[in-house]
Amino acid sequence: MAFSPIVRKLALLAFALAGGLSPWSPAAAVDPPGLTVYREHCQRCHGENGGGTPDAPKPLVGDRSVNQLAAYVDETMPEDDPSQVTGDAARQVAEYIHKSFYSAVARDRNRPARVEFSRLTVRQYRTVVADLVASFRGRGPGVDAQRGLRAEYFAGRDFDRGKSLIYEQIDPQVAFDFGIEGPDPERFEPNRFAIRWTGSVVPPETGHYEFVIRTAHSVKLALNTAWYEPPFIDASVKSGTETERRGTIFLLGGRAYPLKLSFSKANQGVDNTKHELPAHASIELLWKPPYGVLETVPEQCLIPHDSPSTFVLGTPFPPDDKSIGYERGTSVSKDWFQAATAAGSETAGYVLDHVEHLAHVKRDATDRATKLHAFAATFAERAFRRPLSPDLKTLVVDRAFAEAPDLDTGLKRSLLLILGSPRFLFREPGLTGDADPFDTAARLSFGLWDSIPDEPLWQAAARKQLATPEQIRGQAERMLGDRRAQVKLRDFLLAWLRIDHGPELAKDKNLYAGFSPEIAADLRTSLLLALDDVLGAAGTASAADFRRLFLDDEVWLNGRLASLYGAVLPPGAPFTRVRLDDGRRGGVLSHPYMMSVLSYTGVTSPIHRGVFLARSVLGNVLRPPEEAVAPLSPEQHPDLTTRERVALQTSGVACQTCHTMINPLGFALEEFDAIGRHRTAEARGGVEKPVNAAGSYLPREGPEATFKGGRELAAYVATSRDAQEAFVRSLFHVVVKQPARAWGPDTLENLRVSFAASGFDIRRLVVDIMVTAVLPPTFDVAQALPPASPRESPP
Amino acid sequence: MMPLTLSRRDLLRRLGVGTAVLPFLANLPSLAAAGTGAAKRRLVIVFSPDGVVKKNFWPANPGPFLTPGPVRVPAELPLILQPLEPFRDRLLTLQGVHNKVKGDGDLHMRGMGCLLTGIELFPGNIQGGGDTPAGWASGLSIDQEIKHHLQSRPETATRFGSLEFGVLVPNNADTWSRMVYTGPNKPVAPIDDPYQMFHKLYGQLKDRESMQSVLDELHEDLAKVAAALPAEDRRILDEHTALVRSFEQELSAHHVEVAHAVPVLEQGIVDQNDQMPKISRMQIELIVSSLAADFTRVATLQFTQSVGQPHMKWIGVDEGQHELSHEPNSNEAAQDKLTKINAWYAGEVAHLAKRLAETPEPGGDGSMLDHTTILWTNELGEGNSHSHADIPWVLVGGGLGFTSGRALNYPGVPHNRFLIALAHAMGHTGLERFGNPDYCGDGPLTGLA
Repeated sequence: MAFSPIVRKLALLAFALAGGLSPWSPAAAVDPPGLTVYREHCQRCHGENGGGTPDAPKPLVGDRSVNQLAAYVDETMPEDDPSQVTGDAARQVAEYIHKSFYSAVARDRNRPARVEFSRLTVRQYRTVVADLVASFRGRGPGVDAQRGLRAEYFAGRDFDRGKSLIYEQIDPQVAFDFGIEGPDPERFEPNRFAIRWTGSVVPPETGHYEFVIRTAHSVKLALNTAWYEPPFIDASVKSGTETERRGTIFLLGGRAYPLKLSFSKANQGVDNTKHELPAHASIELLWKPPYGVLETVPEQCLIPHDSPSTFVLGTPFPPDDKSIGYERGTSVSKDWFQAATAAGSETAGYVLDHVEHLAHVKRDATDRATKLHAFAATFAERAFRRPLSPDLKTLVVDRAFAEAPDLDTGLKRSLLLILGSPRFLFREPGLTGDADPFDTAARLSFGLWDSIPDEPLWQAAARKQLATPEQIRGQAERMLGDRRAQVKLRDFLLAWLRIDHGPELAKDKNLYAGFSPEIAADLRTSLLLALDDVLGAAGTASAADFRRLFLDDEVWLNGRLASLYGAVLPPGAPFTRVRLDDGRRGGVLSHPYMMSVLSYTGVTSPIHRGVFLARSVLGNVLRPPEEAVAPLSPEQHPDLTTRERVALQTSGVACQTCHTMINPLGFALEEFDAIGRHRTAEARGGVEKPVNAAGSYLPREGPEATFKGGRELAAYVATSRDAQEAFVRSLFHVVVKQPARAWGPDTLENLRVSFAASGFDIRRLVVDIMVTAVLPPTFDVAQALPPASPRESPP
Repeated sequence: MMPLTLSRRDLLRRLGVGTAVLPFLANLPSLAAAGTGAAKRRLVIVFSPDGVVKKNFWPANPGPFLTPGPVRVPAELPLILQPLEPFRDRLLTLQGVHNKVKGDGDLHMRGMGCLLTGIELFPGNIQGGGDTPAGWASGLSIDQEIKHHLQSRPETATRFGSLEFGVLVPNNADTWSRMVYTGPNKPVAPIDDPYQMFHKLYGQLKDRESMQSVLDELHEDLAKVAAALPAEDRRILDEHTALVRSFEQELSAHHVEVAHAVPVLEQGIVDQNDQMPKISRMQIELIVSSLAADFTRVATLQFTQSVGQPHMKWIGVDEGQHELSHEPNSNEAAQDKLTKINAWYAGEVAHLAKRLAETPEPGGDGSMLDHTTILWTNELGEGNSHSHADIPWVLVGGGLGFTSGRALNYPGVPHNRFLIALAHAMGHTGLERFGNPDYCGDGPLTGLA
C-alpha cells in the first residue's frame, strides 16, 4: 500500500528519462529488430533512412501512428509480396521507421541543427523587463562578502540621526529579545527606543516569499519599494493582541532588493509618556522561502547595502518547452501570446506609475513632452537591444505619441508597441555572415544573464569592440562578476542535479524520527551553500573547479543538521562547513540532500540514484522500461538487502539492457541511507546485514571502472570524460539555448578539451562557451579556445 | 457554495473571452441583471474633520426649514449650510445623534474610528492628545456592511461594491486617518490621488484603447521584421502574427460601449494643500461618473483626516483648520474662520449634489440625486470641546427615501441606531445590531421617513 504512489512515480521517472537526443540507447548495443527487417525488405526501394530511391522517390514520411503504420505494412508491404512482412516483423519495422525518420518528431530531430529564431523564454522575459526598468534607476550594490543589515539604534521613538542616534552596527539578522529593560539601560530608556535596519535582501531562489514580522510594537517593513511608495507591511499601529504581521511577495532569485525595517518601542501618535507602561520588547524578521520553512531571514541572504527597487513581473506564463533538456522558445502558443500581452500591459503600467522617477520628469514639468519622447526612445533601444533607426523611432515612438490625447497615453501606447514588437519578444534573427556587434552583445547578455546588455556592454558594441575572441572573453569575464551570472550558473547546477523544482521531501516517521520539514529545508540550504562554494562568490577571480562538486568532503551543517547527521555543533549553530563521516562524503553526489531526494520515504532507491548518475551526471541516454514495473516491496523479501532486492527485481533480460549500467552506479551509494546518513549495515529481517557498496561503470570509451562507496565513485566521476562531456553539453544548452551542433560537430569536444586545459574551471568554461557561441558558426572556434595544457591533473 | 459575488473575470470567462483581452475589457456597465425594475439606491458618505461651529451649523428649530410664527416662509439656513440652499428641499439634518462609544483612544481617534463602525477601538500603541493609547477599530464600518449586503445579491452587485475616495489624506496610516474598515483591525486607505482612482476605474478601458490604437503600427513592424528573416525562421513569426490578428478580432468582437462619458481630468495636479479645491472637484467628477456607470452604489469621500490641518488660503484662511478648531467659542475671529472652512466643505457637498442633480438617472426616472443620498459627517460635534454629542449628520438627496426639507432633533440617541437605519434604507433590512450592541437598543433610528 505504501508503495503504490511510488510505483507510479517510478514509471513516470522512467519515461522522463526516455527523452534523449537519439531514440536508441547506446546501452543497447545490438541493432533494433526493426532495422534488420527494414534492411532486408524495405531499403531497396525506400532507400537508407527512408530517403527514397528511383523506385520510390518520395521520402518515407507521414503522420500515421505506429499502430496505423504497422497495420499498413502488414497488409501492403513489401508491394511485391506483402506476406513477407507481417505480424511482429511489421510492428517492429513500423516502430523503427516511425522513430527514426517517419514521424514529425523524428523529422524534427533529424533536421540539421541551426540557430533558430526564438521567442524569449519565461525566465528571460522576467529578467529582461526587470533589467529594462532597472536600467533607468541607479545601479545596485556590487558583490562583496559583507552580510547582515545596517542597524541604527536610537534613544527615543523616532529615527532622528541628528538627535537621537546612539550607535550603529551590523546585525547579522533580526531576532532580538530586549526584555523589559531594552537593549542597554545605560543608554536607552527601556520604553523609548527605536531601531532601523537597512540594506538589501538577496533571496536564494525565484518564487513566493512570505515575510513575517513578530513584535508587539510599532514596525514598518519597506521591501522592494521606492522611498515614495507605501511600505510593504505597515504595522506602525499596534492594535489589540496582534503581534504577527505577514505579507507575501514574488521575488526573482539572486537579486538584491531594498529592505528597511523600522521598529519603535514607544507609543506612537502624540508624544506623551503618561500611558507608557513597562513592556517586553522583542522583534523578529522571518520568512518562508519557496521550498523552505518559516525561519529567521538568514544572515547569508542579507547585505548591508542599499539597492534600487526592482520591477518583478506578476503575470503568470505557461511553462517553456523543456523537452530536450533546456528551456527554449522555439514555439509560440495562444497561451504564451496572451501572457506576453498581459505582461506587456503590466510592464507599461508599472513604468507609467513610476515614470516621474524613471524618466526624471515631474508631472507639471514644462519639458515633459521632450523627456517622455526621449525616455520612450531609450526604452525601445534597450528593449530591442540595438540603436533605434530613425524609421523605427517614428514607428514606435513618434506615431504612438502623435495620435494620443495626452502624454501619458502616448507613452503608454509607445511602451505597449515596443513590448509587443517582435524585436523585443524574439531573438537571434539569422546567425549568419558578419557578426553585428549589437547581436553579439545581446548573445553575451542573454547567455550569461538571460537579459539585455548593460551599459558597458552596449558601449563596447557601439565602439565595435566585440569582434575578437579576446574582446568577447574580456566582456564575458567582467559579466561573470554580476549576481545574475551567479544565479544563472547556480540554477544550471540545480537543473543538472534535477532539483530545480524543490522536490517534496518526507520521510517515514518511524524510521527517521528526526527528519522534519525544517531538516528538509536545511538540507536544501546546505546544498545551495555547497554549490555557491564551488562556483565561488560572484566577483571573485578564484577558479570554480568542476571536480570540487565531487571531491569536497565537507558538508555545510547547522546545529539542527549536525545533531541528526552525527557532527558536533552547538544546537543553534549557524551553517558552517563540517568534515563529515571521516571523509567518506563525495561532494554533491553523496550530499544528504541528494541522497534523501533519491530515496523512498523508508528505504534507499539505488535505481533512482543510478539513473541520476547514468543520465544526468554521466550523460547516457536510457530507454524507458518495457513496461511500468512495481518495485518489490521490502516486506515481501525481508531477508534481502536493498541491493539484493533491486538486483532480483531487475534480473530480467529486458531490464538488464539498462540496469547493467544503472544498478552498479546506484549500489555504490548504498552506504548512505534514505536520509543520507552514512551506514555500514542495513537491518533486514532482524539482522544487521553489512552494506555492499561495490559499484562499477563502463564508460563510452575505455575499460570498465570499479569503485566502492560514495567517495570512490565521486573520485571516478571527477575525472570521468563521460561526466565532462555531459556537463559541457548541458551547460552549453542552458547558456545558449540553441543546439550545439549548429556550431559544428566538434563544438562540444573542443569545449571539453579547453575545459580540461583550464583545470576544469566552470567559469572559464562559460567564457569559452560564450566565445564559441556569440560568433557566427562559420568562425573557427577551435582557434579561439586556449590550447590544451597539461593541467588535467586533480587539484 | 455559490461565491458571494460573481467576479468580472468569471463573468467574462462565461462569455468566452480570452485572458489576453481581459485586461483590456473595461467597464461592463454593471454586473447586475438588467431590467429587474427596482430603482437603485446609493449612498455617498462625505467626511470633513475637526467639528463644526454649532451656532452656525444647526438649524434653530426642528421641523421644516421655515420661519416660526403664523406665517411660515422659508427660513434662512445656518451660515455653514447656506451653500446647500439650492437643495433645501432635499436637505435633512439630524441633531442629537451622539457617538457614545467609549474605551481607549482620544476623542479624535474614537470620533474617527467609531464614526462608521459604532464599536470600540482595540487597545494599542497610538497615543492621542489625552486618554489611553489605542489601535484600530474592532469592527467593520457601515459602508462595508452595506457593501457586503449589496454584493451578495446579483441584482445589486457592482464591479467594485464600494469606492473609497480621499482628498489630501496624509500618508500616515493611523487611527486618525482611517474611517472605513472591512473588519476588526482592517482599515481601508482612501485613494486620494485622482489619477490613481481614474486608473482604477478606467485603466483597462484606456489600455484597451491604447492597444487598439497601436495595432496598425504593430502589424507594420511585424511585416518589416518578417521580411528580413530567412524563410525557415519566418514560420514562428507567422504564427505570432496570426495570434496578434486573432487578438485584434477578439478585442473588437467584445467591444463594450461605455454608457457614460469618461471624465477628462486636468493633468499635472499635484498632491499639495493649495490644490485641495481642484483635487476635490476631480474626485467629485469621478464619484459621479462611477455612480453613473454603476461601478458602485456605496462611496466615501474623506477630506484630509481627523485632526486634519488644511490651510484654506483660497478662502482667506491661512491658519490650519485643526489649530483653529481648538480656539474657544469666545474667539470670534477663529469661529468666523471655522465657519468659512465648514461652509467650504458644504460647498463641495453642494457641488456633488449639483452634479448628481444635473445627471439624469441612467435607465431610471429623474436625476441621479433622486436615487442618491449624500451623508456629510464629522468625527466631532464641536472642535474645542472635542464633543461626541451632536455629531453632524447632514443628508442631501433622495437615495434613502427619508423625508427631507427639515431638521430633526433627537434626544441624544446613540449613532449606532442611525447607522442601522442607513443599512435598512439601503435595503439591508435584516441588520438588527451594528457595532457595540449595547448602543443598538431600540433598533434602527425611527422618524427619518
